[in-house]
Amino acid sequence: MTAVIEVSGLTRHYGKVKAVQDVSFQVEEGSICGLLGRNGAGKTTVMRLITGQAFASAGNIRVFGENPVENAEVLARTCFVRESQIYPDSFRGKHVLRAAAHLFPNWDADYAARLVDEFRVPLDRRMKKMSRGQRSAVGVIVGLASRAELTLLDEPYAGLDAVARQLFYDHLLADYSENPRTIILSTHLIDEASKLLNHVLVVDGGELLIDAEAEDLRGTAVTLVGGHSAVEQFAAGRETLGWDSVGGISSVTLTGLSDADKAAALAAGLELAPVSLQQLIVSRTRGTIQPEEATS
Amino acid sequence: MDDGRPIFLQIAEQLESQIIDGSMREETQVPSINDLAAFHRINPATALKGINLLVDAGILYKRRGIGMFVAEGARQRLVAARTEAFQDQYVRPLVAQANALGITPEQLSRMIGKEAGQ
Amino acid sequence: MTAAATLPGPAAAPHTSLHRMVTTMRVHASNPWTILATPWLVLFAVFALNYAIWQLVKMAATGPLAPGAFTQNGGVSYVLVYMVVVAVQAMNQTFSFVVGLGATRRDYFLGTSLVFGALSLVFGAGISLLAWVERATDGWGIGGAFFAPWGLRTLPIWQLVVIYTSLLLLMFFGGSAVAALFVRWGANGIIAFFIGLALVIVATLYGITVTESWQAVGDFFTRNSAVVLAAYTLPISAAAGVLGWLLMRRATPKG
Repeated sequence: MTAVIEVSGLTRHYGKVKAVQDVSFQVEEGSICGLLGRNGAGKTTVMRLITGQAFASAGNIRVFGENPVENAEVLARTCFVRESQIYPDSFRGKHVLRAAAHLFPNWDADYAARLVDEFRVPLDRRMKKMSRGQRSAVGVIVGLASRAELTLLDEPYAGLDAVARQLFYDHLLADYSENPRTIILSTHLIDEASKLLNHVLVVDGGELLIDAEAEDLRGTAVTLVGGHSAVEQFAAGRETLGWDSVGGISSVTLTGLSDADKAAALAAGLELAPVSLQQLIVSRTRGTIQPEEATS
Repeated sequence: MDDGRPIFLQIAEQLESQIIDGSMREETQVPSINDLAAFHRINPATALKGINLLVDAGILYKRRGIGMFVAEGARQRLVAARTEAFQDQYVRPLVAQANALGITPEQLSRMIGKEAGQ
Repeated sequence: MTAAATLPGPAAAPHTSLHRMVTTMRVHASNPWTILATPWLVLFAVFALNYAIWQLVKMAATGPLAPGAFTQNGGVSYVLVYMVVVAVQAMNQTFSFVVGLGATRRDYFLGTSLVFGALSLVFGAGISLLAWVERATDGWGIGGAFFAPWGLRTLPIWQLVVIYTSLLLLMFFGGSAVAALFVRWGANGIIAFFIGLALVIVATLYGITVTESWQAVGDFFTRNSAVVLAAYTLPISAAAGVLGWLLMRRATPKG
């Protein structure tokens, strides 16, 4: 399968601050790739570098096989939508959609109109005067209706309530099924989006922490719950992601357990609880936590 | 949807259960990839992976230009496979739990008999 | 593994660049208020003020007024300088939006330059037209010369068009260079610019004084007609445009 995006050794620093450090990955054509991480981890910077809007300090970026910077052919096939998008003061919703219609060759005006109805966007209102959710909705509409081969959505649903978010996911999935393209979705609401993702990239402090298929990540971590000594014994020598204790009960989150290990844990009387993708990533980006002394 | 296991496995298992309980008969069409994906709100590639798993196991087959269908004899094969796994999946934990409570095998048999008789 | 539908191929690329330039122009044009209406308002406001003052002076005067009493005013320069503001505003607002949405800086710059060029022509012709009306009405019935003051009063209209258009181009592209500075380096860039400008002016004045060329400078300005002088500003406008481009090439859109 062809790689739509190939990034190697990507670095971006502002003076002493290293926003992105030596990041390398590939994104395959037609995949929905989650770009996950905490605020300030470097997700937006990576997206700006991929779209040629920011300039790399070092490293190589290839989008559709070419350097995206000032590359009109590549950029015509790309759409980058973010909450922080600046709009001219006087711009109303309809102006934004008109500009988008001119900039994106695959723009579907009918689809955009339907989305405007569904998300209830007041097109005649100025962007400045819209609520955060309405602004996000405009961004989502641009991102979806552009039908760009490579679509990057940076936290596209800031300000959208849970109902509107579900609407967004459903529309994203439906349109992606009908019109496959490569999508990069950055979000901190990992569990909500996790089922849609093929590929997961986790960024932390400017570095790439995890680069894996979603299905491979799922189920790699497990939480064992039981008596403190039993848990401690089982966890000895293994990579722990988190500890918790209450009374004589402890829980530890571990990765890399084989089926045999899991069976052994069960036999030892421990309970196994699944670890969601969000929990997994939160633990990995928080650093390991040491067990506290049991009180009884 | 279970957090702990790959989704494509869960999709496959769900389809298998539907075949076993008869809600999806042999030689009938299985929902399309896009429909499955939309229904479960998952990535279509994941749905495809689950379907392919069943195709490889001979449970489903593809009719070009139309879609995926339940293969003949699929139900039988699934029932056989699950019966084999039944011991590990259900019996072993049952016995372990019974032992933990001090229930003897005879008591367990009587309990099973009572339950099955209803 | 086949996808349910085929992935879209690359878009028809022939006039992608042109498209983006035109879109940039459309983005500018979608708010005619800032770039078209306001400058005219400024112009008419200053004119109205001047006209009112003329009338008051005429009413208050006890004897006949000196000829050309109302022809030595520079009110029209307000609008020229205002164009610098228009350029800076226009660029600042639209750069982050258009480039943020995926246009290249080059296409944005070209589109914006075309808009500035068109505006220079529109305003240049417009002011010249008003100057023609001014002459036809004998100075608005009061012997005034606002749209073509001083020596411009006697010049043919086509020369006025050239002069005003050239000056406006200088204002727009100078403004675009300033805007590019701002977009690239923010407020610090502007401060650096003004310090640099002051240094350049001082250095020039010093240079002219030291080489005792004030006479030559004076001769240059008096011997050449206004049209020629205006034509001399064109390379400066071009240089400002190039400078603006060089600055913008490495600017990052905000947001």
